[in-house]
Amino acid sequence: MNSLALAADGAWKVLVASLVLGAGLPFVFALGVRARASAAGARADGEHAERRPVGNVLFVLCLLVVLFGVALGITIVVASGFGKAVSFEHIYPTIVSK
Amino acid sequence: MTTATLVLVLVVVVALAFDFTNGFHDTGNAMATSIATGALRPKVAVGLSAVLNLVGAFLSVEVALTVTNAVINIQDSKGAPKADLMADGGYALLVIILAGLVGGIVWNVLTWLLGLPSSSSHALFGGLIGSAIAALGLSGVKWTGDGTKLDGVIGKVILPAFASPVIAGVVAAVGTWLIFRVVGHIAKEFADQGFRWGQIGSASLVSLAHGTNDAQKTMGVITLALIAAGQWTDTTAVPLWVKFTCAVAIAAGTYVGGWRVIRTLGKGLIEISPPQGMAAEGASAAVILSSSHLGFALSTTQVATGSILGAGVGKPGATVRWGIAGRMVIAWLITLPAAGLVGAVMWYLGHVLGGALGPIVVVLILIALTGYMWMRSRRQPITAANVNDEWEAMPETKRLERV
Repeated sequence: MNSLALAADGAWKVLVASLVLGAGLPFVFALGVRARASAAGARADGEHAERRPVGNVLFVLCLLVVLFGVALGITIVVASGFGKAVSFEHIYPTIVSK
Repeated sequence: MTTATLVLVLVVVVALAFDFTNGFHDTGNAMATSIATGALRPKVAVGLSAVLNLVGAFLSVEVALTVTNAVINIQDSKGAPKADLMADGGYALLVIILAGLVGGIVWNVLTWLLGLPSSSSHALFGGLIGSAIAALGLSGVKWTGDGTKLDGVIGKVILPAFASPVIAGVVAAVGTWLIFRVVGHIAKEFADQGFRWGQIGSASLVSLAHGTNDAQKTMGVITLALIAAGQWTDTTAVPLWVKFTCAVAIAAGTYVGGWRVIRTLGKGLIEISPPQGMAAEGASAAVILSSSHLGFALSTTQVATGSILGAGVGKPGATVRWGIAGRMVIAWLITLPAAGLVGAVMWYLGHVLGGALGPIVVVLILIALTGYMWMRSRRQPITAANVNDEWEAMPETKRLERV
């Protein structure tokens, strides 16, 4: 394979993975912020909406998803520093030798 | 002190100086958006980034001895220097590295003076390529890989340079668009506060990844020099003092903060809001981590710039100052040849003068050039105090130094 094909192949994979993590997690975070706003009854027009406590539960759930993503990111950095990689072949992440 | 020892000392000191410029040039990649939105006060942001760079540098246990192998031919596949460059205490190899490092530093400091974010790794590679061509001819450079993996100047530098800003820009634009779809109806102050926290988290991740990746490069270069000079033999480990000094150098550079670059990234390209800042840093962190994970290493600087532009594109009605983005792209395109030219000239100079004199003169020229550029920067200083001033309020001539 020539360099161009290899680069296109790499770029494509990076784009997909980054869309899931780099746009997906901020999206989930935004959902969490919205859920918390709904729990507090904070609306854009300054009016106070009805407080919906269930929003706090959704907020915590969203936060957990995001924190998991961040923990995964830190694991990838640390693992690569120690010459290891994070493998997704079992769906759930495991640390393997590079 | 023999000539070879003197040259070795010069190489180590200049390599640490490069590491310092690497930290200070790249602070903005992680922290510019958090500083611009007020998520973190400027001094706190650079302090946090410095600590994370320090931690990141110590986390990298792997030996990056083959980092120079990606673009130039002065080592075998294990990272040991080629035998024909090892004569006289590795003098020939040390002069190539010294000249290359000087090329990288000069370009880093010049782009900092101009407030342009440009890739520190590309500057280092450019300098080394220039000095290798000067010393060994075109065969001294590895232009492309063997076809099984991305390697060489084309695979490691040129193709990633085109891909990085585009990928990061798309991810940040999609992220920004999604975020504004979700939080468009809630109170702005409420949303902004939440996203400031998200920004700090994602920016911290970028800083940590930077320390792990970039400090390793200088550690590799210094270890290579030590092996060439016969002061170290193990190609699978980095001396502890090298690790320690490199970590401190990159962290110190980060803490000093390249405020000129931070300002351009945070205020120059777009007027950034906390949701956009979070989308930009989230995209940067995801692209940097997934690309290094998938073996398609991208430049942190170009990723960060692409992300910020994407965050501008993704917000309906936002303006992007494409003129400034265009200047950055030009800087990226000439990074490799410009740093290479300096590297080549420095090598010729060192070679013609020879002995101990050549390397000493090269280092003196480096000090003179960087000193001059630092003096120029004092005419319109940008510091933690004015880094966040309104972009449009400054007269055009003061915003960026003219080339």
